[in-house]
Amino acid sequence: MTWIGTWLRNIGAGALRVADEVGGILLLTWMVLRALIPPKIDWRELVKNLYKMGNRSVPIVVLTAFFAGGLMTLQTGPFVKKFGAQALAGWGAGYAVLREIGPILIALMFSGRVGANNTAELSTMTVTEQLDGLRALAIDPVRFLVVPRVISMIVMLVALTVIGDLVALTGASIVGRAMLDIEWATMFHSFADNLKPYDFLHGVYKSIAFGGAIAVTSCYFGVTVRGGAVGVGKAVNAAVVAAAVSIMLLDFFLTYTTG
Amino acid sequence: MKKLITGIGAGLVDASRSAVELWLVYVGTIAGIVRGRRGGRPKGEIMRQMYAIGNRSLIFIVVTLGFIGMVMTYEACLQLQRVGIADYSQVGMQYIKLIVTDFGPTLTAMMLATRVGAGIAAEIGSMKVTEQVDALRMSGVLPIDYLIVPRFLASLVMTLVLTTIGGSVMYAAGGLTAQYSFGVNPSLFFDLHLLRSRHLILMLVKAVSYGAAIPVVAGFCGLRARGSSEGVGWATTAAVIGSSFAVIVLDFVISAAALFVTGGDL
Amino acid sequence: MSVEPAGTAIRLRNVRKSYGRHDVLAGVSLDVPRGGRLGLIGPAASGKSVICKLVCGLEQPDRGEVEVLGESVVGKREVQLGDLRQRIGMLFQNYALFDFLTVAGNVAFPLEQRGGMAVGAIAERVATRLRAVGLAGSEGKLTGELSGGMKKRVGIARATVADAELVIYDEPTAGLDPVTTQKIYDLLAADQQRTGATVLAVSSDVVALAKFVDEIAFLYHGHIVYRGPAATIADAPDPLVRQFVRGELEGPLEERRA
Repeated sequence: MTWIGTWLRNIGAGALRVADEVGGILLLTWMVLRALIPPKIDWRELVKNLYKMGNRSVPIVVLTAFFAGGLMTLQTGPFVKKFGAQALAGWGAGYAVLREIGPILIALMFSGRVGANNTAELSTMTVTEQLDGLRALAIDPVRFLVVPRVISMIVMLVALTVIGDLVALTGASIVGRAMLDIEWATMFHSFADNLKPYDFLHGVYKSIAFGGAIAVTSCYFGVTVRGGAVGVGKAVNAAVVAAAVSIMLLDFFLTYTTG
Repeated sequence: MKKLITGIGAGLVDASRSAVELWLVYVGTIAGIVRGRRGGRPKGEIMRQMYAIGNRSLIFIVVTLGFIGMVMTYEACLQLQRVGIADYSQVGMQYIKLIVTDFGPTLTAMMLATRVGAGIAAEIGSMKVTEQVDALRMSGVLPIDYLIVPRFLASLVMTLVLTTIGGSVMYAAGGLTAQYSFGVNPSLFFDLHLLRSRHLILMLVKAVSYGAAIPVVAGFCGLRARGSSEGVGWATTAAVIGSSFAVIVLDFVISAAALFVTGGDL
Repeated sequence: MSVEPAGTAIRLRNVRKSYGRHDVLAGVSLDVPRGGRLGLIGPAASGKSVICKLVCGLEQPDRGEVEVLGESVVGKREVQLGDLRQRIGMLFQNYALFDFLTVAGNVAFPLEQRGGMAVGAIAERVATRLRAVGLAGSEGKLTGELSGGMKKRVGIARATVADAELVIYDEPTAGLDPVTTQKIYDLLAADQQRTGATVLAVSSDVVALAKFVDEIAFLYHGHIVYRGPAATIADAPDPLVRQFVRGELEGPLEERRA
C-alpha cells in the first residue's frame, strides 16, 4: 500500500508546486498592473524589446501561418468539395484560422521563440546577480525589466497575429488552388461572404490575452530561477509549458464568454 | 539592398548547413539504434526516458487537449448555428475523423514539442556546457548513442500512447460540450462509423513521425549548446521552435501525401 | 598494441586553430616523449585548454598534424577515436563530472565502457583509486554534495582509474588552497611513478607545477615561445617567461590583440 501513499504524496507535492507557481504568476501580474499606474516606463527598454521581439519572430510566424492555413484547407477542402459547396471552402478554412488555429498556433510559436528566449535572458541575468545589482541601485526590476517586456510582447503578438492571419488565409488559398483546384476568386468570395469582422477581432482579443499570459509566465520563471546552467534550462522548460497551458485555458474561457 | 541580399544569402547557407547537420544527427541516431548497446547506452535508460516523457506529460496533455477539444466542438457547433444548419448530426462523426487524422497527433505533438523538446534540450544542453559530453567522448562513448537514442525510442512509443490518450480526451470533452451547450445527444455524437483503417494508419504515421522528429531536433539543439547558462537557454528556445515547426511541416507533408494517395477522398 | 618504435607520446606540428575570426593557435609545434612530464603555462585564454582538447581529438585542428601515442588524430571520425581515447585520461578544467551518476559511478565509467572487467574487479579498482585520492567512503555521494576540492579529486580518480598511457590535467589545482594543492601534486606524482604514464599538465600555479613536471612550455599569442627545464623556469633566458612566472607588472608581456 505504500506506493499509493507515495503516489498521493507526489500528487500533493505537485499540486502545491503548481499552486505556488500560479500564485507567483498572479502576484507578478498584479505588480505589473500596479507599475502601469502611473505609466512611468523606460522608453528605451520598451523600444529595444519591441524591436527584438518583433524582428526575431516574423520569419517563423509567417512560415508557420502559411503552413497552418494550408493545412486547414487540406482538412476542410475535400469535405467541402465532396458536397460541391466550393463557395464554402473559404468558410471552412477561414473561420478556423481566424478564430482558433491562427491565434493559438501563432501564440505557441511566439511562446517558443520570444517567450523562451525572454526567460533565458532573464534567468541568465538572475543567475549572474544582475537583478540584485539593479535593486542595489534603487531600480525596481519589475518596472525596468518586466513591464517593457510585457507590453512589447502583447503588442508584438497582436501584430504578428494580424500578419499571421493574413498569411494563413493566403496559404489556404494557395493550397486550395494548387491541390484542390479551387479558384482564387471562389476562395476570396467565400472569405468575404462568410467571415465577419468580428471573427477577426475575436482572434485579436485572444492574442492580447495570450500575449499577456506568455509575457508574465516567461518573466516569472526567468526571475525565480535557481541554480546555474541547469536551472536556466529548467526555467525555460517550465515557462513554455506554463505558457502553453495558459493559452489553452484562456482560449477556453474567451471562446465561451465572448462567443 | 546589397546588405539585405547578403543577409538572406548568409541565412540560407547557415540554414542549409544546419539542416545537413540535423540530418546527420538523425542518421546517427538510426545507426546508434542498429549498433545496439555497443555504443554505451546504459541499461534501463529507455524505460527511464519513457517515464520522463510519458508519465510526466500525461496531466499536461490531458488538460490541454481536453480544453482545446471543448473549444473546437463549441466553435464548430456555433458556426453551424450561425450559418443556419441546425443539424448537428454530422459534427460528432466528422470530429472523430479530424481527431484521428490530424488534430489528435498534431496537437499532442505540439504540446510535447514544448514540454519534451524543451526538457531534452535543457538536459543535454546543460551537459554540453559543463563539458560532460566531452567527458563521455573521452570514455569512448558516442553522445548520440548515449543521450539521443534512448530518448528517441522512448519518444516513439510514448508519443503514440499519449496521442491515443489525448485524442480520446479531446473526443470525450467535445461530446460533453456538445451535449451541455447545444443539447446534442451523446449517442448521436459518439458515432464511429465513418472511421476507416486508413484513418488509423494515418494517425500512426503522424504520431510516429512526430515522435521521431522531436527528440532528434531537441537533442541536436542541446548538443550544439555553447557558452554557459545563456547557451542552455538558447538551445532550449531553439529546440522548442524547431520541434514545433518540424511537427507542423510534417503534418502538412503527410496530410498532402495522404490526400494524393487516396485521390482526394479521405 | 605493442610499444611503438617512436618514443614520442604527443607530437604537434604547425597546428593552427581558429574560432571564428579569432586565431587561438597560430602554428604550434610540440613534442612530448613517452614517460615525460610537460607543463603548459601561458596567459588566460591563450589556448592551453584548446591544445588539451586537440590532443584528445575532441577538437580538430584547422591545419597541421597532431599525433598521439603513435596515431594521427587529424581527420578521424568519432567512432575511430574510441580506442585511442581509452588509452588517454583527461581531467577537465571544470571537472565535467556526470551529475547523473554517483562518485563511484563516475570513477567506474571508463572501466565499464572499456568492457572486459568483472563488476567486482571494477568496484575494487574504484575503491582503491578513491582511497588514493583521499575520498574513501564517498562512493555513494552525488556530485552536488561535493566541495570543489573533492570534485577535483573525483575527476583525478576518473582520469587515472584506467591506468592510461597518457594523462592530461587541465588546471588540476585551480581554486584550491596551498596545502590541498601540494597534496594533489603529490598524488599526481605518485601516480605517474606507478604507471610511467606521459603527463601533460596545464596550470596557472607555476611554482607548484614546476615541482611536478620535468619541463615547462610557455604558450603566448598562439605560439610556443619557450621550452625549458621546470626547475629553472623563474630564471629562464626569455624575458617574457620571466615576467610571467614572477608575476611582475612591468615587462614585454602584452594583452592579446583580439
